[in-house]
Amino acid sequence: MASSDVVQYRSPARRLVEILTVVFLAVYLVWTVLPLFIMFVSSFKDLLEAFKLPPTGDWAGAWVFFDFTPTVQHYVDLFADNNFGTYLANSIIASLGSALISVVFGAMAAYSLSRIEFRGKRDLFFWIISTRMAPVVAVMVPLYAIFRGAGLVGTLPGLILAYTTFNLPFAIWILKGFFDNVPYAIEEAAMCDGCTRFQAFREILPLVAPGIGAFLVLCVLFAWNDFLFASIIGSGGAKTLPVATKELVQPQNIQWGKIMAAGVVTTAPMMFLGLLIRRYLVTGLTMGAVRE
Amino acid sequence: MFYAPKNALFRRVSRRKFLELGGGVATALGVGSIAVGLNSTIFRSPVQAQSSDAAKWKQYDGSKLVFMSENTPPSFAIRDNLQAFYDLTGIEVEILTDDLPVVQQKVGIDLRGGNADFHLNYVQDKPIGSPFADFYADLTQYTGDDTLPQDPEGYGDDAWFENFLTACGVYYEPGRIVAFPYDCAVACTFYRQDLFEQLSKDFEAEYGYRMEFTDDTTWQNVQDFAAFFKKVREGGRDDIPYGYGQHQGSFAWTTQLDIQRMLFANGQWTEFDVDDKLGAKEPGPTKWGDEQSVLIMQKYKDQADVSHPDNLANGTLELNTVYQAGDIAMQVQYHEFAASIEDENTSRAAGGKTAYAACPKGDPEWIVGDGQAVNGCNCGIGGIGINAAASEDLKRAAYIFAQWAVSKDTQLHVLKELGGTPTRKSVLEVEEVAAARNRPTSMPNALTFEAVYDKGIRDPNFVLGPKIPEANEYHNIILTEVQRCVSGETSAEEACEEIRWQVDDMHDL
Amino acid sequence: MADTSSSTVELDGTADLASVMRDGRRTINYDPPHLNPVPSRQYYFYLMLPAIIILACITIYPFFWLIYMSLHKVDIGGAGDVWNDFKNWTRLTRDSKFQDGWWLLLKYSAMCMFMEVGLGVLLAVILNNSRAEKILVTIFLMPMMMAPVIAGLVWYYLYNGTFGWYHWLLESAGILGETSILGGTSTAMIGIVIVDVWQWTPLITLITLAGLKRVPRDQLEANMVDGAGPVRNFFQISLPNLYPFLLIAILLRFMDNFRFIDAILVLTGGGPANSTKILPTYLFDVSFQFFKLGRGAAIALTLLVVTIILGLILVRVFDSPASKTGQTQAGN
Repeated sequence: MASSDVVQYRSPARRLVEILTVVFLAVYLVWTVLPLFIMFVSSFKDLLEAFKLPPTGDWAGAWVFFDFTPTVQHYVDLFADNNFGTYLANSIIASLGSALISVVFGAMAAYSLSRIEFRGKRDLFFWIISTRMAPVVAVMVPLYAIFRGAGLVGTLPGLILAYTTFNLPFAIWILKGFFDNVPYAIEEAAMCDGCTRFQAFREILPLVAPGIGAFLVLCVLFAWNDFLFASIIGSGGAKTLPVATKELVQPQNIQWGKIMAAGVVTTAPMMFLGLLIRRYLVTGLTMGAVRE
Repeated sequence: MFYAPKNALFRRVSRRKFLELGGGVATALGVGSIAVGLNSTIFRSPVQAQSSDAAKWKQYDGSKLVFMSENTPPSFAIRDNLQAFYDLTGIEVEILTDDLPVVQQKVGIDLRGGNADFHLNYVQDKPIGSPFADFYADLTQYTGDDTLPQDPEGYGDDAWFENFLTACGVYYEPGRIVAFPYDCAVACTFYRQDLFEQLSKDFEAEYGYRMEFTDDTTWQNVQDFAAFFKKVREGGRDDIPYGYGQHQGSFAWTTQLDIQRMLFANGQWTEFDVDDKLGAKEPGPTKWGDEQSVLIMQKYKDQADVSHPDNLANGTLELNTVYQAGDIAMQVQYHEFAASIEDENTSRAAGGKTAYAACPKGDPEWIVGDGQAVNGCNCGIGGIGINAAASEDLKRAAYIFAQWAVSKDTQLHVLKELGGTPTRKSVLEVEEVAAARNRPTSMPNALTFEAVYDKGIRDPNFVLGPKIPEANEYHNIILTEVQRCVSGETSAEEACEEIRWQVDDMHDL
Repeated sequence: MADTSSSTVELDGTADLASVMRDGRRTINYDPPHLNPVPSRQYYFYLMLPAIIILACITIYPFFWLIYMSLHKVDIGGAGDVWNDFKNWTRLTRDSKFQDGWWLLLKYSAMCMFMEVGLGVLLAVILNNSRAEKILVTIFLMPMMMAPVIAGLVWYYLYNGTFGWYHWLLESAGILGETSILGGTSTAMIGIVIVDVWQWTPLITLITLAGLKRVPRDQLEANMVDGAGPVRNFFQISLPNLYPFLLIAILLRFMDNFRFIDAILVLTGGGPANSTKILPTYLFDVSFQFFKLGRGAAIALTLLVVTIILGLILVRVFDSPASKTGQTQAGN
């Protein structure tokens, strides 16, 4: 077996495959990063510079991409003229608020679901996850009416609740998996030591804490990136960054520089958070079906 | 003696209580919606007809109103100037601005729900006015009320530019006014004078007439110009842009306007047999599918073929961006965009390169039958209207704002600050404004005033319709089928026939 | 609430252990009456209650409201609702945009899946156990963190025929003539698919990588002893092991295509000539542009029903033995 490995390694076909592999990876790398790079660079260009493009086929002319005087004006303007400070705060409050509510209530529910059996549990469980899958556009009209009835449209509490509609089922579903892995014996032991039931619940929390933390972050990420809820239920009093960015497409001018700057402001924190919970991403994005 | 405010404290308390009771649960059980203002408050000190003007302005001191508007210049400029209104009246106004489709959604939900989150609305003629006209307060009950401050110029038809009041304020029946003209976007031709001069000789050699824009320039001429620009460009001259671009993209309304201009220019064709300015709730069968519409659909496709390659992707805004970037030489565009074209920081067509003319005229060859060839011009007139579901006092307070927002002084201020689009005739008589019509100008929009106010909006060039409650769906049908035809999926006949079928089906005919 | 007598706690796997401990406890007679060492079922239900109530409010009520609306001619507010003899439903049968919407949704999803799975698996196979795996995967997954609406705006900028660099690249490379990407009825669909591929291929890669780590080594080695090369090994051993993972990935992405239309709204709005008007975007038009809430509700219900069916399949896959082994292995 070992000898056949060596033979394969030396064969020209194998070398070719290796070269192709490297080329493919390089191309894919460029393909992934280029839009982000262009967004980043363009956020430092003024409108006319952002329009600059070499004639078709003039490959050497591509250098004009870098031919500009960098300006941070767009970033300054966003916060000075366009109220992005407020929108940033709205985004943070709404996504963090909904993440916290979802994880707290979600943990409670997930813990219970993981500890008892009852008839219809499977159905209940399916119903919970189906609320997460429901297409937002389909349920938007009735949801809007409900939120309006409660006076929640255009408010941050309203937006937090709206985000909870998709974060809570997610949290329940994911966290149940975590609690399932914690043996009941630990709580039992705690209660024997004189803990109340709730203290026992708290006792096992540290065991699932890393998971809970990661999914809190993931809930923040989902909420932060939402557009439809924010634009229909939130906007007015609770405009978030994605909505505010979209609104830079204004009748008088499509403010590309500002849009790119706003894109950077909106995306950068999420990329950071994404890296932070990198280990839990697969589990989170597949609803716990796949683990790394 | 003291008026008990209906909306203020009561509503706030009810909302809080509601939340305490677990608003969501209560609603879920079908308690239904409880009307809650977006923080509206109302306080009134009574006034009489003989009270001083100052007292009339101040009668709702301490109140708060919400105005939902499109993100157009007047609303930005007025928002910057709200302090002046507050000083005058003591009324706080919150102006919310959004994209037109979003405004449409929110206003629609608000109005049809019988609520009054937004006391003041931006009533864009067809997209918002047509479907929701019944939900607005009749302003005629306030215009004669001498316990309210009134504009010295009045609100009659002659105070505004021709057709404006009817366009945005009167729907389906004469006599009821639901909005005052607040701003307007009127179509006119923007073209690159510098490039026209540069190519004029070559063009004349080939086509036998001069390449220039006059009031008599026809759609056929425009097509010739565009074809010529395209030919030069594709012949390897990278410095020469494409000739023309249509309004396409996904903004259905402006595509409908775009083809409507051509249809109306050639024989004053309109889509229904109804009073174009009043509209109709049940307009009857559409005229789409007749010979004239098929011919123009074909011409419209021919025009698309000589337009910028991105044609189908460019909505009104994007089209303007293309023009700003110097990538097309002509566009029929709304005159409010002149300000952005003349801005040296954002536009390559600034600095005297652009000239403005009326919309192109119909061509006798393109007219089936004996209709008249006109400079078919249309527009979006944005009105300011008052939500009928608001309480009487809120409506009165809102009226004070509405009539202030459309006053001559406010409009002049907006024009100077952000390049607004006046709707009152008297604004144009101001000396500064008259002077600004010529270069160099401090108010770029004024460069278009001749093409727009002296020509385009006047009869027989002006077309508005169709003012029908289903206007938005109608626009969408037009957009889809026009694009199918332009992209070669369907023939002109098929497209017109498809439109006819869908529109009549929409009206249950 | 403090009802211990009725408590019969059943626990998967740990039930035995629990009863042993309970018995042990009883023998040492440790049973302080105020502590309730064995939680009652009610206790757990109370813990569950807040989440259930929130979810009920935002799902059950809207669902029935949708059914109600779909049977009426609706003006929001309830006053003018008129029963209209299933007209909203019968209309769907001759509504070509509705039918096209479904067809386009399927086409769009199929194109996305095909490219994402192809690329994603290839990438995963290459990256698996390579030295650069960690760093490259980290870089590759950056687009996933971006709000879809921002991704839409950025790509709109790249595609633009006037100042878009990607348009310039494609044109200069001779792939694209003097035409537009988002302005062509045939290219617009590819345009939006590419954005989705850019954003979500890394998810497939991540899932596949996780799957590849679960492929039993002994099977691979046994197969190699039988003389299989790496390619044959992949198709004979690895791929079959990956199926459940890929199925999960595909179902998740498919449902996301129902859920997220942000990027499409920004890029094309469903145009040109409705060539990208997948069903959710058409629904958006009907409900929020035309205000035909009744018709919108009927369309929404068809969408919901399909989502629920897909969801049921997904849950089946979750419970299937294959992904279970994956889970337990991961747990260890």
